[in-house]
Amino acid sequence: MSLFWIVIRQFAENEAMATSKKVITREEWEKKLNDVKIRKEDMNKLVMNFLVTEGYVDAAEKFRMESGAEPEIDLATITDRMAVKKAVQCGNVEDAIEKVNDLNPEILDTNPQLFFHLQQQRLIELIRNGKVEEALEFAQEELAPRGEENQSFLEELERTVALLAFEDVSNCPVRDLLDISQRLKTASEVNAAILTSQSHEKDPKLPSLLKMLMWAQDQLDEKAAYPRINDLSTAMLEDPPV
Amino acid sequence: MPTSASSAIPKPSSDLIARLTVADAAVNLKALRDIKNQIIGNRTKKLSFIKLGVVPHVAAILSSTSDPNILVQSAAVLGSFTCGVDAGVSAVLDAGAFPRLLRLLAHPDPKVVDAGARSLRMIYQSKLAPKHDFLQQENTKFLLSLLNSQNENVTGLGASIIVHSCETIAEQKALHDGGVLEKLIDLLDGSLSQRDASLESIATIFKNNVEAIARFMQPGREDCLNYIIELLKDRNPKTRLLACVCLIVIRNSSPCYFQDIGIKMKLIHSLLELLDSPDQVGDEAPFVFSTLIAEKEELQKLAFEANAIDKLYNHLQKDQLSPRRFQGMLLAFSHLCSKLESCRSRFLSLQVMNIVIDAIKHESSDIRIAACTCLRSVSRSIKNLSAGYFMNEAVVLPIVRLLHDPCNDVQLAALGAISNIVVEFSTKRSIFIGCGGVKELVRLSKSMDLEIRLNALWALRNLMFLTNIMCKEAIFMELTASLLASLVCDPEPSIQEHAMALVRNLIDGCEDSIEYVFAEDAIVLNTIGQQLQNISTDEIGVQGMYVLCNVASGNEFHKEGVMKQLFPRGDDVTRSFVVKFLQSDNSQLRIAVIWAIINLTLPSSPRALDRVTKLRNAGIVSQIKNMVNDPCLDVKLRVRTVLGQLIAFGDGITL
Repeated sequence: MSLFWIVIRQFAENEAMATSKKVITREEWEKKLNDVKIRKEDMNKLVMNFLVTEGYVDAAEKFRMESGAEPEIDLATITDRMAVKKAVQCGNVEDAIEKVNDLNPEILDTNPQLFFHLQQQRLIELIRNGKVEEALEFAQEELAPRGEENQSFLEELERTVALLAFEDVSNCPVRDLLDISQRLKTASEVNAAILTSQSHEKDPKLPSLLKMLMWAQDQLDEKAAYPRINDLSTAMLEDPPV
Repeated sequence: MPTSASSAIPKPSSDLIARLTVADAAVNLKALRDIKNQIIGNRTKKLSFIKLGVVPHVAAILSSTSDPNILVQSAAVLGSFTCGVDAGVSAVLDAGAFPRLLRLLAHPDPKVVDAGARSLRMIYQSKLAPKHDFLQQENTKFLLSLLNSQNENVTGLGASIIVHSCETIAEQKALHDGGVLEKLIDLLDGSLSQRDASLESIATIFKNNVEAIARFMQPGREDCLNYIIELLKDRNPKTRLLACVCLIVIRNSSPCYFQDIGIKMKLIHSLLELLDSPDQVGDEAPFVFSTLIAEKEELQKLAFEANAIDKLYNHLQKDQLSPRRFQGMLLAFSHLCSKLESCRSRFLSLQVMNIVIDAIKHESSDIRIAACTCLRSVSRSIKNLSAGYFMNEAVVLPIVRLLHDPCNDVQLAALGAISNIVVEFSTKRSIFIGCGGVKELVRLSKSMDLEIRLNALWALRNLMFLTNIMCKEAIFMELTASLLASLVCDPEPSIQEHAMALVRNLIDGCEDSIEYVFAEDAIVLNTIGQQLQNISTDEIGVQGMYVLCNVASGNEFHKEGVMKQLFPRGDDVTRSFVVKFLQSDNSQLRIAVIWAIINLTLPSSPRALDRVTKLRNAGIVSQIKNMVNDPCLDVKLRVRTVLGQLIAFGDGITL
C-alpha cells in the first residue's frame, strides 16, 4: 500500500542519520498519514473487488448502485459461481459438476486435478451416506481410470477408499476426508478455477493489502516506535510503548 | 441429494443414439447434456463414445437445429470430444462439423458464439486441425475480425488459429502486414486470458522472423517490450512462462537484442522458478528453458552460475513427476551439459547419472530418448570418458538393449550416446563387446534407414578409435570384410565417408592390423581404390586417402598394394586421381594425399625408387613441386618433407 511505502521511505531517510530507535508520536504519525492521498474511486474498486471475488452478489449490486463502482465482471456470473460453490458445500457434487459444465465446459476438461477432486468429493459423499456398493462402483468406473493416468491421483484414491474399510470412521486415519473442511477445500478450488476461467484473479486484493500492512509494520518495528495497528478489525492506532 | 441410485453410471449404449436421433428436441437436449456431463474430464468415456459413433449424430443435430440451447449443448459436446483426444478431432472433422461451428460465430446469441468459439479453440489445439491459409487476404481479414471481437472466447480463438497455422515466414509476414501484430499488441492490455493468448501469438509471428522483430524493436516501441519484460514478474505463472517464450523467440531469432546480462539472468531465474508450478506450466518450463540455453555456451554458463543443475536435480528428486516434466528436465540437463565441463562435473557429482540410467529403461519412449541425449552430452568429455564413468555394465547393458527398441528415434538416440561412450582409452571396451554391443551395431549398420545406418557406423568408427588389436579382431570378425566393402560403396556418400573413416581407424596403429584390408583378396582395399576413382564429396577422398596413407605405413607388400590402387592400369599411369586430388581446393584432401606419398617414398624402404619413378611418370612429382608455396601451411610443410625425401633418389628440388 503506497501509504506505508512512503512512510517507510521517509523514515529510512531519517533513520540513516540516527542510531537508536526513533520514537514517533501520534501527532507526528497522523500528520504523515494525512499527507498521503487516497482516491475514493480506488477504495470503491477494492471493495467491489472483494465483494465480487467473495461472491456477495446482492451486496455488489447494491454497492454498484450506491457508489457507482463498476464490477470487473458480469454480476450474473457471480450467481452461477456461488451456486456451484454452495452445491459442493452442501455435498451435491454431481449437481455442482453439471453447473460448472454449463458455465464453461473447458474448466473441468482442461483441469484434471480439479476434476479429480470433485469426483473424489462425490465418492466421499457416497461413503458418508453409506452407499457402499455405489461408492465402489463409482470408484472403479470413474476414478480408477484417472488414477491410471496420474500417480498422485491413485494415491489420493486409495486414501479415500480406505474410508470404506472402517466400521467406525471416527477411528479411521483418513477421517479428515469426511470433515466439512474437505468440502470447503474442494469448493474453494472450484471457485478459484471458475474465477480464473473468467479472467479474474482468484483472490481478492484486500487481504493482500492487509498482509502487506502487517509486513511493513514488522519491518518498521526494527527501526522505530510508532502508533501501530494491532487489531485489523478496528484498525485502531495504538500508542507506542514509551 | 444427487447420489441416488439412478446416478449410477450408465454405459454408452445404442439407447443413447436413439435419444439423439429421435425427432423430439427436448429428448435430444437431455441426451446431449447427459453426454456432455459424462465425457467432460473423462478421456476413457470420450474414447468409448467416439467408438460407438456418437459424434456424427451430434454433428447432425448441430447442423439441423436452430434452437440456441441445442446449438450450445451440441457445440459443447463436440468441443469436449476434441479436448486432448486426437481421435475426437478426427471424428468431428470427418462428421463435417467444422464449418458449422464456424458459422456459430456469427450467431446473434452470445452464448452460442461462446460455445462455438470454445469448441473451435479446442480443435485448434490439435495438430489435426485444418490449416488456416493466411496467404489468402480474406482469411487474414477474417482473423482480424475475430481478434477485434468483444467476446473473449472469440479473440482467444483468433490467437489459437495463429498459433496453430502460422508457420512460414510468408505467413508471418502476411499477418504482420495485415495489421494482426498491432492488434495483438493492443490485446496485451486486455483481460488475463487475452494477454496470454496474445503473448503466445506474438511469439508465433516472431519466431525466426528477423524482419518483424527488427520493426518491433524500432525506437519508440520500447514500452511494449518493457511491458513484456515486466510480465516476467506477473502473478500468473502461465503469463510468466509465455512472456519468457516471447522474449526467447526474440533473442534466438535476433541475438543482437538483449545483449545485457540482466535480461538473460531474469529469464533464467524466471524459468527455474516456474519449475515449481505443479501444473502444465511447470511441465513446459524445462522445455522453454532448453530453448533458451540450447547451443549457447554463454547462457549455459549463466544458468550454471544460477545453480540450474542443482535446482533441476532437486526437482528430479520429487516423486510423481509427470512424464512430460521428467522428459523436459532430462533435456534441460542435456543442453546444460552439452558444452561446459563445469556443468558435467556438477552433474556427475550429484549422481544424476543414476536417475538417467533408470530413465534409459523408462516405459515412455520420449523419456528414453531424453535419457540418451543426456548421456550423450555428459559423455562429450575426454575427462569423464577417461575416468570410466560410462563404460560399465550399469550404463552399457541398458543402452545396448535400446538398439532393439521398437521406436526408431530411440535407436538413433541410443546410437548417439554409444558413439561417445565407446570413445575411451582403457581396456574396458571389452565390456561393450562382451554384452553384444558390436553385434547390434553391425546389425544396425545394415539398416534400411539411412540415419540409423549412419549412426551405427559412426559408433563403430568411434569404437575402433585407438583401440587395441584384440578389440579390433573382435569387431572385425563381426563386421567381416565383405560388409565393410559394401558399406564403402554404399549409395549414400555420408555412409561411404564413415565407412572409410572406420577402415582408417581399423588399420591405424600397428602393422598387423593393416592385414585386415587385404583379407578376402583385398576386397576392402580394392573397393576403396575404386571409390577413389570417382568421389562424390571431398570428405570421402580425405578418408580414403588416409586409409591408403595408413596402409602405406606398413611393409613393402602393403606399400605396393597402395600403388596398385593409385595406378590400377599397371604401367599406364596417366589420369591418376592423385593429381586431381593434389590440385583440389580442399587443403584437407591435399594434405591427406601428401601424407600417403610421404609413406610411399620413405628412402629406407627397398622398392621406394621404383615407386618414385612411377610417381614421377604420372606427373605427381612435378605437381608436388608446384606446391612448395601452398597457401596451407600444413601442406607446405609436408610438401617439403616429400621433396626432402626425393633428394635421396637423385631428384632434388631442382625444378
